[in-house]
Amino acid sequence: MSIVLKLSRSSRMYRPNELLEGKIIIKLNSSISHQGIRITANGTVNLQVRGGSAGVIESFYGVIKPVHIMNKSVEVKPSGKLSSGTTEIPFSVVIKEKGKDDLERFYETYHGANISIQYLITADITRGYLHKSLSATMEFIVESEKDSLYNRPMSPEMVSFYITQDTQRHPLLPELLSGRFRVTGKIPTQCSLLDPLTGELTVEASAVPIRSIDIHLLRIEAILVGEKYVTETSVIQTTQVADGDVCRSMTLPIYVILPRLLICPTISAGPFSIEFQVSIVITFQSELSKLQPKADPRTPRLWLALETLPLRLFRSE
Amino acid sequence: MEFRTRDYAAEEASSSLPRSPTDDHPLLLRPSSNQVSNQIHLHRLIDLSASNHIVRIWIKDCKAQGDFLVLGESVPGRRVDVVELKRNDFDDPLRRQTANEKDLVADVQGAAHISKRGLFSYYYDPHISQKEWGSFKTSLMQKFPASKMVSVSSISGVIIKSAKANEKSSTKVHIEELNDPQKFTEGEVKVISWLEFVERLRELKDEIRHAWGADDRVTSLKLSIKVAKLLMDTSVSEFYPTLFFLVTDVMDMLGDMITSKVVMSAPMPKKPVITGFAKLAPYMNFFHECHFVAWWAISYLELAILHCSRFLNDQPFDSLHRLTMMMRGLADPLASAYCRVYMARCAMRLRQYDIGYLITCFRDFKIILSNIILEKDSKSGDSLEKRKQLIGLMEPAIGWIMKCVFKGPFQHYLDSDILWCALPIELRRQIEDILMEFGLGTTPSDLCGNLKCISIVVHHLIEELPAEIVCSHVLEIIKLIEGSNDISFDQYLNFRLLGFKLYEVRPEGELLDAIIGKVLQVINDYDDLDSYLKVADAYFDIVLQGHMDSYLAMILDNISRRTCGRDINENELSSLQSIFIKLLAQHNDLDDLFVLKHFVEILDVLRGNTRDVVNMHILRKATRNACICEPAMIQFLFETSQALHDGIDISNMRDDHQQAVRLIIHFVEKVDYGAALERHLTFLLECRGAFGRIKDLKEALVHCSNCLAVKAIKDANKHSGFVKSCIAFSEVTIPSVPANMMQMNLYIETAEVALLAGLVSHADGLVDSAVSCLRDLFQADGSQVTVDINGIILLMQRLFSLLVALPGNPERGAVHIPKSIISFCDAQPWITPRMRTKFFCSVVTLSAALSQEKLSYHVNNEEVPGNDLIFFGDPSYYQELMSISRSVLEKLVDNIQLEKHSVARGNIALEACNCILSSFKASDETLLLCSKLIGIAKSCSNPSDKYLRSTINVFDKYSSALSKNLPVISI
Repeated sequence: MSIVLKLSRSSRMYRPNELLEGKIIIKLNSSISHQGIRITANGTVNLQVRGGSAGVIESFYGVIKPVHIMNKSVEVKPSGKLSSGTTEIPFSVVIKEKGKDDLERFYETYHGANISIQYLITADITRGYLHKSLSATMEFIVESEKDSLYNRPMSPEMVSFYITQDTQRHPLLPELLSGRFRVTGKIPTQCSLLDPLTGELTVEASAVPIRSIDIHLLRIEAILVGEKYVTETSVIQTTQVADGDVCRSMTLPIYVILPRLLICPTISAGPFSIEFQVSIVITFQSELSKLQPKADPRTPRLWLALETLPLRLFRSE
Repeated sequence: MEFRTRDYAAEEASSSLPRSPTDDHPLLLRPSSNQVSNQIHLHRLIDLSASNHIVRIWIKDCKAQGDFLVLGESVPGRRVDVVELKRNDFDDPLRRQTANEKDLVADVQGAAHISKRGLFSYYYDPHISQKEWGSFKTSLMQKFPASKMVSVSSISGVIIKSAKANEKSSTKVHIEELNDPQKFTEGEVKVISWLEFVERLRELKDEIRHAWGADDRVTSLKLSIKVAKLLMDTSVSEFYPTLFFLVTDVMDMLGDMITSKVVMSAPMPKKPVITGFAKLAPYMNFFHECHFVAWWAISYLELAILHCSRFLNDQPFDSLHRLTMMMRGLADPLASAYCRVYMARCAMRLRQYDIGYLITCFRDFKIILSNIILEKDSKSGDSLEKRKQLIGLMEPAIGWIMKCVFKGPFQHYLDSDILWCALPIELRRQIEDILMEFGLGTTPSDLCGNLKCISIVVHHLIEELPAEIVCSHVLEIIKLIEGSNDISFDQYLNFRLLGFKLYEVRPEGELLDAIIGKVLQVINDYDDLDSYLKVADAYFDIVLQGHMDSYLAMILDNISRRTCGRDINENELSSLQSIFIKLLAQHNDLDDLFVLKHFVEILDVLRGNTRDVVNMHILRKATRNACICEPAMIQFLFETSQALHDGIDISNMRDDHQQAVRLIIHFVEKVDYGAALERHLTFLLECRGAFGRIKDLKEALVHCSNCLAVKAIKDANKHSGFVKSCIAFSEVTIPSVPANMMQMNLYIETAEVALLAGLVSHADGLVDSAVSCLRDLFQADGSQVTVDINGIILLMQRLFSLLVALPGNPERGAVHIPKSIISFCDAQPWITPRMRTKFFCSVVTLSAALSQEKLSYHVNNEEVPGNDLIFFGDPSYYQELMSISRSVLEKLVDNIQLEKHSVARGNIALEACNCILSSFKASDETLLLCSKLIGIAKSCSNPSDKYLRSTINVFDKYSSALSKNLPVISI
């Protein structure tokens, strides 16, 4: 006896104004009677506070009341009987009611550290009091609607950056300070979700050999707790650009594929906000680094030089 | 019984064929019409301007009038119709390439467009690339054989223990790695054997394949990443090329698996782009999301599936360009070089061909290499040796990529017989653009500036460039080589390579003069003899063939300056050897060489094996002429031979030694002092002393001295004394000839000469010596089975025929020599019956010949009378002849019966029978003997045997002559 949900798209990706279609596949050994089959589509923003800038009290509260995006229930079959064998029941759910202008509410699916925006579809077969009701749940992915696409400039805005011993706000190794280094490059501050993040980087000079250059993609999640925002920054993905002491004045490409589901368009809603940053981290070869215990890659170290830039992500065609 | 009287003159007249004079030699070569058509050398030339692909057939080297023929005329039955060319079913083997040519034209006109980046795209045959990759692999594996033990750091933990740290997220691993490099770099380095390593890698490969087969894609991809990560470890640098091929093998397998998955799942041929994308996209995303593991290990995987990414987009070159750029981030020069090799290899599997990214690779190489080269021996930098070793390891990678650069446009140019000027202008311009990239084809003013090339890159550039193009840019290339003098590759080797390339094209005139002048000027600064010789050697052929005598003199002068007063090492010797061989090959006359300044001087520098080889070449050259007459030359060659002779190790006769021996003998034979016969004899005497270790030479010496004697005999003035000394020389020399048979032959020959000179007693003595030789032969070789029986029989027959002309010695009896042979035959039980029969027959024939009133031939010397004159009318002489014949005939039949082999028995019986029939008048006695012999023959041979039947015929005539009691005149 099993119940499985199958959506019309293998990618399970839908836009708010589209019909969510699919079928319920029920496999039965013997025929059963039921009191109706329902499909429920549910969208919530789950928030939780831990670590980051949250205080002791906020942490105590832990999970904050989720924000509801949608909750819709449709009966696809009235009460009756299901014969044994495989039964397929098609269904379709309107995600967004027509005429209602609440598009802003349909945030894109996102799975973060403290915030996760999730859309679920559930099938329920109610079978009276004596029998356990059957149900199946599946996540579907929502992307911003075509109509409401951000009308941002399509060409990503590139900013030039340069990293030297003078741009660092944390203490550096003495040989780095005396030897000097200079890494320059270009990186966009806006990027479409579909495109890779592309830029370039040049090591112009460095007396101390370089060990690695990495691009960290960071998320900053802010949640309104009481009257203040609790923010937390965490690393989503690290991409290595250079391995070892690369040749000087050779342009290295920055090419970062943005991970699906772990990112979403930059949001600034009332109770929460999700923003992104990109951080260029240069690790220099140093004996000291071998002695230190492991820690968060964002912790400034003596042998690291870094530059963090905001990154606005948007959905485009 | 009575000897038959013979009238030799009448017999000759009756049995000789009529003769008529002729103008032509019957074997003279005359050209026939077939040969002409065979000689025709066909050269195809495509007229590219013609749009309808008309193929013109150029007939070169054709002796017929006019050089434009229709093939149909010269090859009957194979008419060529120009219209037919367009049909595909036409399969004239001479024109098998038509289809390719069509492709070529299409390619040239269509595909050779400049792609959107201003790059070149060409079609490339994947099969050829696969083959080339294979041979590249083999050559590299041989060049860098894997050492027995490999130390594997924990980065390659997959080899030691697979799949243990799987639970950790890959991001974490990388970050840990950054924070705690100790664990990763100085962690326990395990040493495992190379075989174990390979075995483990093979297991991994199987695991990947199984996982893929079991639809467990993620595992197989993860394992593949682990395998790719092995390439991060460049610590065992000598092992790296091998490791590279082992790993790329796995990558190729994975690429093929993914491709087949994508291609198979694309149902409609028209829609692979859409379907393929959906199928391939997950892999691509998977790889990119893994970027933080080891981004460039992932690049390998991405490259592996590059050739199926054509389903994804029309421009796989976009990703190729991105990867090229990304590879710059890989600081390890070795790893990055090989990564580029794999990229070039994967790009070759694409249907298109683009070299833009390869050019970028070369720009990067230039920077990387100059960094390595310029790096000082500071505390952080590696020593010069290490850097050289590193460049040595990178060198094949550079070579391979250079090869790829010239694959596309140049391959078309090389594969077809198109002339450079016949290439479409577009293609030409593209080739020129590539050359420009390497600093060729620019105006001279640009060249003087900042274009400094890396010597190893220049080397591979020259190596890959077609010779014609090298020739057309030669002055710039020389400048390029001049400008690139660094540790990566020795400059002189580049000059040397250029020389070899130029030799293929053979430039002419002023250009040639300029090239040689320039090169010689540059290498003049080399103090090192070895490098000077290596370069000079490469250009030597060109100089010689261009008859540039002043440059030749200059080179020789420079060599002599550098060789004087110092030791020459093996490398230098081999270069010198090559130079000398070229000099010898080019000059027909040795005299021209001696005129050259420093020639002998440099020759004297040579030693050891080199000296021998050059000496052999000199001798070979000298002995090619009809004769060697000049005393100075003879003296030089004599010394040369002597040096060669001293180097020969008799106990170890290798092939080249035997060749040397032959050459010396040949030289001695070719020497001719003309009228100075005495001098010649002295020379032979000197040779005998000087070349004592060459046994075979003695034979040649005897022949020469006999030849001298005959010359002297013909020249009436210098007769007696000189001839005697010649014969004495021969007599003295013969005993040292090793083989008895040869001795015997020489004795007979010398006896003939002595007889000719009228020295009867000498001749007598020599014949005696020959007979005693025979005795020695049997005594010495009696136990051996391998006696050359036929050779002995021939020699004996020659001796018997000499005896006809040799005057008998009345004191010892006229027939003492045949007698001694007979007694010798009787005494030796192991002489075969056949041999004995032959000897006996010869004795009978000799007796019959001697019994004639007029001998069949005399010595051409009036002072030597024949036996017919000496014993004229002496009845005891005739009786002696008859008695010896009788004594032989008595033993004949019994002797023949001893022959075991029946066919041989029959044959010798017939031979003996014929001998008797021709020697004796018919009598009852002879008839009885003959019928016995025929009886033996009949019992042994087939009755239809021709020899038997003709013998029976003769016998019948013979017996009928007896019944008529008439003398038989002819048989």
